[in-house]
Amino acid sequence: MRHPGPGAGQTLAVSNLAVRYGGVSAVRSVSFTVAPGQSVGLIGANGAGKTSTLRALMGLVPRAAGEVRFGDRDLARVPARAMVRLGIGYVPEGRHVFPGLSVEKNLLLGAYARRWDGQARASLAEVYELFPVLGQMRGRLAGALSGGQQQMLAIGRALMAKPVLLLLDEPSMGLSPKLVEVIGETLRRLRDDGLSLLLVEQNAMLTFEATTDCLVLENGEVALSGTSAELRGNPRVRSVYLGL
Amino acid sequence: MSRLPALSPPWSLWSPGRARAGGLVVLAVAAWLLPYRLNIYWISVADTAILFALLAVGMGLVMGIAGQVNLAQIAFFGVGAYATAILTTRDGFGFWTAGALAMLAAVIAGLVVGLPALRIQSHYLGIVTLGLAVAFIDWITNAPITGGDSGISGIPTPPLFGIDLASQYLYYYLELIVFAGGLAFGLFIVRTPLGRRMRAMRDDPLAASAVGVEIRMLRMAAFVLASVYGGAAGVLYAGLVHYIAPETFSIADMFLLLAMVIIGGRQSLAGCVIGAIGLTVVQQELINLAAYAQLGYGLVVVAVVVFAPAGLVGIPGRAAAWYRRWRGHTGRAAALEPFRPLPAAPPSPGSAGGALLEVAGLVMRFRGVTAIDDVSLTVREGEILGIVGPNGSGKTTLFNVISGLYRPTAGTVSLGGRVISGAGPHRICQLGVARTFQHLRLFGNLTVADNMLVPLDRTRTWWSWRYIGWPPGVWRHDRELKWRAASLLGCFGLAQFAGLLPGSLPYGIQRRLELARAMASSPRLLLLDEPAAGLNGEERSQLAAIVRSIRDSGVTVVLIEHNMGLVMSLCERVIVLDSGTVIAEGVPAQVARDPAVLEAYLGKSALPAPHATEASP
Amino acid sequence: MQSFFQTLVSGLSFGAVYALVALGFSLVYRTMGLVNFAHGAVLMIGAYVASTFYLSARLPFAVAVPAAMIVTGAVGLVIERVLRPLENKDFDLMLIGTIGAGTVLDAVAILIWSSSGRGVPSPVQTAPFDIGGVRIPAYNVLVIGVTAAAMAVLTLFLQRTRHGAAMQAVAMDHEAATAVGIHVGRSNAISFAIGAALAALAGALVGPMLYVTPTMGDSLGIQGFAAAILGGFGSIPGAIVGGLGIGVIGSFAAQSFQGYSDLVTFVVFTVLVMIRPTGIFGERTVNRA
Repeated sequence: MRHPGPGAGQTLAVSNLAVRYGGVSAVRSVSFTVAPGQSVGLIGANGAGKTSTLRALMGLVPRAAGEVRFGDRDLARVPARAMVRLGIGYVPEGRHVFPGLSVEKNLLLGAYARRWDGQARASLAEVYELFPVLGQMRGRLAGALSGGQQQMLAIGRALMAKPVLLLLDEPSMGLSPKLVEVIGETLRRLRDDGLSLLLVEQNAMLTFEATTDCLVLENGEVALSGTSAELRGNPRVRSVYLGL
Repeated sequence: MSRLPALSPPWSLWSPGRARAGGLVVLAVAAWLLPYRLNIYWISVADTAILFALLAVGMGLVMGIAGQVNLAQIAFFGVGAYATAILTTRDGFGFWTAGALAMLAAVIAGLVVGLPALRIQSHYLGIVTLGLAVAFIDWITNAPITGGDSGISGIPTPPLFGIDLASQYLYYYLELIVFAGGLAFGLFIVRTPLGRRMRAMRDDPLAASAVGVEIRMLRMAAFVLASVYGGAAGVLYAGLVHYIAPETFSIADMFLLLAMVIIGGRQSLAGCVIGAIGLTVVQQELINLAAYAQLGYGLVVVAVVVFAPAGLVGIPGRAAAWYRRWRGHTGRAAALEPFRPLPAAPPSPGSAGGALLEVAGLVMRFRGVTAIDDVSLTVREGEILGIVGPNGSGKTTLFNVISGLYRPTAGTVSLGGRVISGAGPHRICQLGVARTFQHLRLFGNLTVADNMLVPLDRTRTWWSWRYIGWPPGVWRHDRELKWRAASLLGCFGLAQFAGLLPGSLPYGIQRRLELARAMASSPRLLLLDEPAAGLNGEERSQLAAIVRSIRDSGVTVVLIEHNMGLVMSLCERVIVLDSGTVIAEGVPAQVARDPAVLEAYLGKSALPAPHATEASP
Repeated sequence: MQSFFQTLVSGLSFGAVYALVALGFSLVYRTMGLVNFAHGAVLMIGAYVASTFYLSARLPFAVAVPAAMIVTGAVGLVIERVLRPLENKDFDLMLIGTIGAGTVLDAVAILIWSSSGRGVPSPVQTAPFDIGGVRIPAYNVLVIGVTAAAMAVLTLFLQRTRHGAAMQAVAMDHEAATAVGIHVGRSNAISFAIGAALAALAGALVGPMLYVTPTMGDSLGIQGFAAAILGGFGSIPGAIVGGLGIGVIGSFAAQSFQGYSDLVTFVVFTVLVMIRPTGIFGERTVNRA
């Protein structure tokens, strides 16, 4: 199922990453790796620095310190728009679909970095197979979809580029529990297909089920880390979350 | 704490105010003596320059101070000039009577042009005002009453106690006096409540309306002011040249006027004047190379916009800041002082514990997305209520509805038994609801003290008639406000920052300033949206003390917060929102154990699960 | 009735030109969020370049116009590069910056071509069509036809091609566009160049109908901008309807109120915009925090 595209077999390595906005430290010294086929969760309460970490690693906000490598490549000078060509897909927080374009156009734009040829059509079919509802709505404007459908569209769009590593920022945000389960199911399926995942989430349970390893962030630092199964039973996760 | 801006030492004889006053005296004397050094050609240039300066002051007030794009200033100028010309030559009015009526006509034009600003802003307003200017030009070029292309000649010289104003030299003094009066009035406005509100509206209309500024009235007032200056310049122009024709009031001249204001510095009246005089003189010097002059000022406008948005007057300040940074700043750094508890309110009998705010059946939908779904809650007088919930659960939307930024789709909000939903944010603020914003919304180009002065002033916009009727009253009111601002800043420990811009302060201090600004409007109910975001532990505990003191002074507090530690220690009652509905309510400790809450935060089956092993297929 | 149709035809011909101008405004606004007040001046440059190719270089009209579009598109690229630091920053500054750029272009035109205008003979010598007593000049038919073709090509480009879709995507969401690998800066530059080329086309087409002068862009630019807003800023069908609308209003105003056509047009425009600020096809944008 997976095609050995660009970036296949590469490990994402983040070391001592720091992010500052003005004078405020959002992330201080976060390190982790995502090996090929591994799925890693980054969880924590609001304002813990999860999204900042992800955005810094994508190059969407400047990194105050630290290093991000993908395989043997230093990503320091790689602009955000070039990440997709290295095999890194990104699903931004709050979905960010192109509201005035049709569902199909949104998906095809996911393959912008490639040609719009037969291969893109084949990827389109794969995405429709993964999310049948998108196939039914292919002609609708993306802005007219429900929140859950938009989230599927955002994930589908990222998959169109055939990434080997998928970064997801809070895919469960604002979704009903039922839809959260659907998203979780999808993520497990992608994981089983061999895609590497980096999942930033507030929803800890979703993350524990969709990933193999997890980090819990608190005030911009890693408070806990371990396998998802271990953390699931760890009562400290709860106290970190609630700031107790 | 080492990168704080420097303060000038208090014992210096060279305070900026004194230096400025001295400079003004020197300029006034120089302006008075100037005609003795000028030949007849250059005195006419000077006469023109003053008129442009007067127009530019009007432009500065509406665009630079109030932030309203106005490309119809040339039409106000034209209305003043044409009304004077028509009333004197056709209807036989005396010059000054005609002039007074012409000013009235200009004000009416100002109201008409300002009307669209109630509905539209920025580029839309730009094209509408420009379109109305084109319409005016079309009218004067075609109407029989304006003499069409050939214009109107034979406008009389204004009589003035036997002084022969036909002399361009003596006319200079008439213009100079009117201009000085106009500039002084403009500066008075800028530095007192009316101008301060306009600047606040320019920096952030949303935050301004949330601290009680009546945006619509103020926009109209700004256009009327611009039209007064434009009309006055028109009247003087008619009396100066005795002959007017449409070519003086072209779109090209409008853009020239705009260039003057931008190059000089639109946010400073002095800058507008410098730009107007400078560009007039340069144009005269290059009169035979008009196209090169145009090329030059076009390029300068682009360069100013890209590299020095504050215009020429902004350059010395930037250079000084650069120099200070280069030298490594000397001078004393401003420091945050401890918060002094607010005077506690005597417990008011009866009302304590009663409902202050009631939200009933509230629904808020945006294009089909339901952000708030049938929320009902009560805030009791004198409590600290926490609102918590995961991201996207509708907390900030709830605040936006309560404070009037959104009109609810259904349901009501009432304050002290009175329905406030549907009223504008300024009205709700006037009724006693103040708020802070999740992402700071301070007035960036106003000093810390000015940020406080805007909400402290509880007068309505109508009150501003005193600017014409009784200016000393305005001045006295302003002094009293300043005194109160100083005392409130002292309470919040911010006194040393009074003269600085908020953007130059550390984040934690900006947060505290926004809290102080909200308190400046003397609210009954204070809404805090994530007040602890970005604060360190020390600042968080200071915040808790401040919020408690605010409550003890008789203000009810509702806060949205993610830091549960803070919520636990501060709030007496907590309401939990999830997906736009209330899922739990109660004392903090109880809410934190509520399974529904844990699920909202952590996801389904969040309790450290007995089935810790892999449960998924 | 005959005079009604005569006025309508004249209004539609100018309306077609306004629609082209409005389209350029809308395209740049839609992709960059920038309101280009220099658009009228760009149109004027396009008209001069086309007339120079046509009259001085003696190229056929059908060659002179596309050549002028290319040259003017390059001018657009320069303006975009200069104003790029202002993108997505202060809206008013951006607006003033483009007014400054327009002033520069006006001055450049005076320096190159002098301030006296030039007449451009119509490239079509065919006699006017006569339909039921309504005389339709052949050139006007050409203008309407070319405009329609340009609209169609642009619509196809935006709807059917990868780059067209990318340009629209940038307008809707910078960050998501970046995430799928679109070079936002380059996409903006291209849309600015296309906008300028459309202005050049409008200028070249209007040359034989009016007189080419350095100030011709003022009025056409303002009318085109009004058309764009009337139709709904950023909307392509809006630009067409708005352009034809402003053209027809102006034409009837000129007929019924003699010289006061600008006056009537802009008063009507102001009232319409106040009633419906988003225009006919406009979307409601939420401008809130």
